[in-house]
Amino acid sequence: MMLANYIGAVALVVIGFYAMIAKHDIIKIVIGMGLTDYGLNLMIVSIGFNEGGTAPIYTFGELVSGMYFVDPVPQALTLTSIVIGACVTAMALALCVRIYKEYGTLDAREIRRLHG
Amino acid sequence: MTYDVYMHFPVIAIMTLFVGAFCVTLAGKREKLRNVIACISVLVPLTLLSLLIKPVMMDGQIIVYWMGNWEPVEGYAIGIAIEVDPLSLFFGLLVAIAVTASCIYSFQYIKQDDARGSYFTLYLMLSGGVMGIVLSGDLFNIYVMLEVMTFAAVGLTAFRTWNPNAREAAFKYLVVGSVGSTCSLLGTALVYAQCHTLNLAQISAILPGNLNPTMVLAFALLFTGFGCKSFMFPFHPIAADAHGAAPSSVSVLISGVFTKTGVYGIIRVCYFLFRSMGMTSVQTMLVFIGCISMFVCVTMALNQHDFKRLLAFHSISQIGYILTSLGLCTALGVAGGLYHAINHTLFKGLLFLTAGSVLYATGTTYLENLGGLARKMPKTTILFLIGAFSISGIPPFNGFYSKWLIYQATYEKAAETGNIAFALVTVICVVTSVLTLASFIKVGHSVFFGQLAPGCEKAKDPPAGMQLGMGILAALCVFTGLFPNVMMKYIITPAVNVVYNTSLYIDSAMGQGYAAEHLGDAVMPLMNGQLPLIGSWSPISWLVLFVVVLAAVFLVSLTGRGNRVTTCEPDSKHAVFFGGEAAEYSHISGGDLFWGFKHTMRRYLGFMSRVHTGVTNDYVLWAVTATAVILTYCFVFML
Amino acid sequence: MEIMDIVMYAVYILIFPGALFTCLFGLWLAGVDRKVVARMQHRKGPPVTQPAWDFLKLCGKECIVPANAARGVFMAAPYIGLASLIVTVLFIPLGGFHAFTTNGDTVVILYLLAIPTLAMILGGSASGSPYAGVGASRTMVSVMAYELPLILVILAVGKGATPDGYYFTFSLEQITSVQELFGPNLFDWRLIPAAVAMLLVIPCEVGQHPFDVGEAETEICEGPLVEYSGKPLAVFKLSHCIKMFVMTAFFCAMFLGGITTGMLWLDVVLTLVFCTVVTLVCMSLLHAISARFRVEQLFKFFWTVVSGFALVSLLLVWFC
Repeated sequence: MMLANYIGAVALVVIGFYAMIAKHDIIKIVIGMGLTDYGLNLMIVSIGFNEGGTAPIYTFGELVSGMYFVDPVPQALTLTSIVIGACVTAMALALCVRIYKEYGTLDAREIRRLHG
Repeated sequence: MTYDVYMHFPVIAIMTLFVGAFCVTLAGKREKLRNVIACISVLVPLTLLSLLIKPVMMDGQIIVYWMGNWEPVEGYAIGIAIEVDPLSLFFGLLVAIAVTASCIYSFQYIKQDDARGSYFTLYLMLSGGVMGIVLSGDLFNIYVMLEVMTFAAVGLTAFRTWNPNAREAAFKYLVVGSVGSTCSLLGTALVYAQCHTLNLAQISAILPGNLNPTMVLAFALLFTGFGCKSFMFPFHPIAADAHGAAPSSVSVLISGVFTKTGVYGIIRVCYFLFRSMGMTSVQTMLVFIGCISMFVCVTMALNQHDFKRLLAFHSISQIGYILTSLGLCTALGVAGGLYHAINHTLFKGLLFLTAGSVLYATGTTYLENLGGLARKMPKTTILFLIGAFSISGIPPFNGFYSKWLIYQATYEKAAETGNIAFALVTVICVVTSVLTLASFIKVGHSVFFGQLAPGCEKAKDPPAGMQLGMGILAALCVFTGLFPNVMMKYIITPAVNVVYNTSLYIDSAMGQGYAAEHLGDAVMPLMNGQLPLIGSWSPISWLVLFVVVLAAVFLVSLTGRGNRVTTCEPDSKHAVFFGGEAAEYSHISGGDLFWGFKHTMRRYLGFMSRVHTGVTNDYVLWAVTATAVILTYCFVFML
Repeated sequence: MEIMDIVMYAVYILIFPGALFTCLFGLWLAGVDRKVVARMQHRKGPPVTQPAWDFLKLCGKECIVPANAARGVFMAAPYIGLASLIVTVLFIPLGGFHAFTTNGDTVVILYLLAIPTLAMILGGSASGSPYAGVGASRTMVSVMAYELPLILVILAVGKGATPDGYYFTFSLEQITSVQELFGPNLFDWRLIPAAVAMLLVIPCEVGQHPFDVGEAETEICEGPLVEYSGKPLAVFKLSHCIKMFVMTAFFCAMFLGGITTGMLWLDVVLTLVFCTVVTLVCMSLLHAISARFRVEQLFKFFWTVVSGFALVSLLLVWFC
């Protein structure tokens, strides 16, 4: 079951990179960035998953040794990563809007005043 | 003061910057108040970190601060740590100095811009992010700070509304930077999967013995991630774009501080977390990448027509020096790399600030439109020359000392391993240094000397606040050049020692004996701080001799007849020689220089110019390819 | 005792081998060079003292600062260049005579030698003349051209073999002392290509014909020097002469060091004779028999042929 997760994560990352490399529309590039992020988040959550584990929500009194639950740290990491990903997407889209106003196009091949 | 008091300094240093970032916003349009808040928020970390020099650098205390007092339980670090060893403090000081100088400069400098309120918010966020990275002892915290830093930097790159290229540069930066972020996050996650901890010290104890394929993957990813932040070779075009568009005071941070976090990360990953630096394959990789960055970027810089873009390429070229030197994995190499890191921050910061002053005075940084500013901006010219001499390694300025250490380190490495390739690395370093000199001659000639360009008649030296910012960096350039022994003794050697004694770092966080228990015999021997030099250079004695001889020459020149120096008058006698024709405006601009070199290398230069297409997809392709190549390399040669 | 030390250092710095001696010997070398070139071309040639007279004459002339010039840099450049050259001499051992040579380091000297050239480039650039701009650009190209072979030579000489094993050094003192034991490097067959490369580097570094692209009189009116007159020009001319001495002395220390007769003064005289011979071989002879290179030819020549020689030497030293 975890294997499917990992395959899915890698596939998402690869699709994201593909979009960033091959798609010239800068909105699609931003979508690619998003896909890479989602793939990564899936990967991290899967890392912390233990088969048959319960949710890691306990108070101090309930916690005894030998309890079996999923690792909470990767979930915290994923949450942070999701927030950061959302910010990146928002910022990139804001830049896209400005670029479209200034260049009149969304084609990455024409947005190259800085080169050489 | 006792150790208990010092313990709180690093966290206060980080927090001041972040709290300052929010307070600046509260100041609203009250400019004075805003400047005061910004000034305090950068000066407090500087003071606190300077106070730490004594306990950390000299007494060898390593400061560990557990956030919320969550100390390790049964050998597992469950809390988030801030851990300051001499290496962290070294980079922290670097950050604090650059941030302070640049902040003082920007009070006046950004008067031309709109949205001045958000400038300081982003500026302090960026500084705080960088400070957080270098002082943190937690891998995930480093990632978060890295993102905060990248965010603020992208915002500041896009900040100049009147610069038509700013948004494009910021977008490229964000997209290509996200490849690096992806890599470092994935690396962090894999490391966690293996070690079940994110504490740097604990990972450094657990990891080195167990280098399985997953960990090689994690190593390659973390290396690429931090390499992206340091803008090493295939990631360099975004740096050039970003520097060209960002305000100069921000370029100082991006080039002097931002890239250093990449270097810092690479040191932590290679020397501490994975302890893989002993492997020839890793050394070769780092030296190879360093050399390519060094040479490619310096030749790209020779091709540029924009002052700041040229400086940006040089910035990466100097990062190449640092990576090469660190990749040697000798004490001298690390010392040279760290020394060059501090010098790079100082002189590159100074140069970016002078570029900013030129922009401030004339409204352009395009080399072809400038000329003859030395007569209008004499102080800026002197500061520029100090920076230019420093970066091109002219003795007795600071760049020379660190480059000289690097030459010795590479040559000694060649001696040690008997591998002639390292001697050729020395040659590449020297050639790069000469080409650096050449491109600064180009800048000097086309901006400050030659004939006064039309449109620059009203240029004048920038206001005192900007001069102060530049002056601080220039004074430090001269100081670190003239007193390398002081720097080596108090700053560099402690940092080098800790790189070679990871057990100290581990033990102070996880408790005495933790490193020995997990690493066993892998603990490297203690260095005694003696660096084996194969040459000798003492700037002070050179300077004394130079001053004596100069005085003698000057006195002799005063004697005798003919001390008439005719003053400048605009008549035919004082016009420049035009072969008998009437004088006219004919400035040899930057693009015309070094024809002999450019002609000989035209194929190479033309090729390099063409491949830097400016298309985002291409740069992403480079970045992904680089990641793939590094992954493959690590799998083939590290297992 | 302390007073004596100071007096001794003052003598070292100002008289021998410092300022006074360096200037006189440099001027004399330039005179010999001109004379010999003239004889090779079947001319009578000027007297050997001619450069010295030229220098004195120039010192008495009026100094004009062009209206376009950045005055400070324009006036300071020649003096800084001269002073740094004289200091460089102090770091080079002269036939067993060590003034301050504990500081003699080949890489440091490589960089110190760049300062006078840099001074000339900046001075020319500051004069505001387009001729000087072209000259500065060409001079810089020639610097780029010769640094590559020079560092290869330095690395080749820096690795040497003694019967006890290998040594790696940048220290000139050590290089000369090893030669004292095992004979001059010039007689080591592996280092002969490096010596040839170095002999070609010397005239380029000095700016002598046929490598004087930066100052080509017939094309760009002496390039960086075009606007100079009076004392600053005299100082530049003097620096040019001293550079001959510095470079040949550097050559002698690297390749002809350690020839001892037991008497210090004789060693020094012998080294000076060697300097003169090297000057004649690499400067006068080349000057008399060849025409000036074009800039791009010069660059190509140094990065291929001369660097090739130096590289061969480095490889030989490494693998033989």
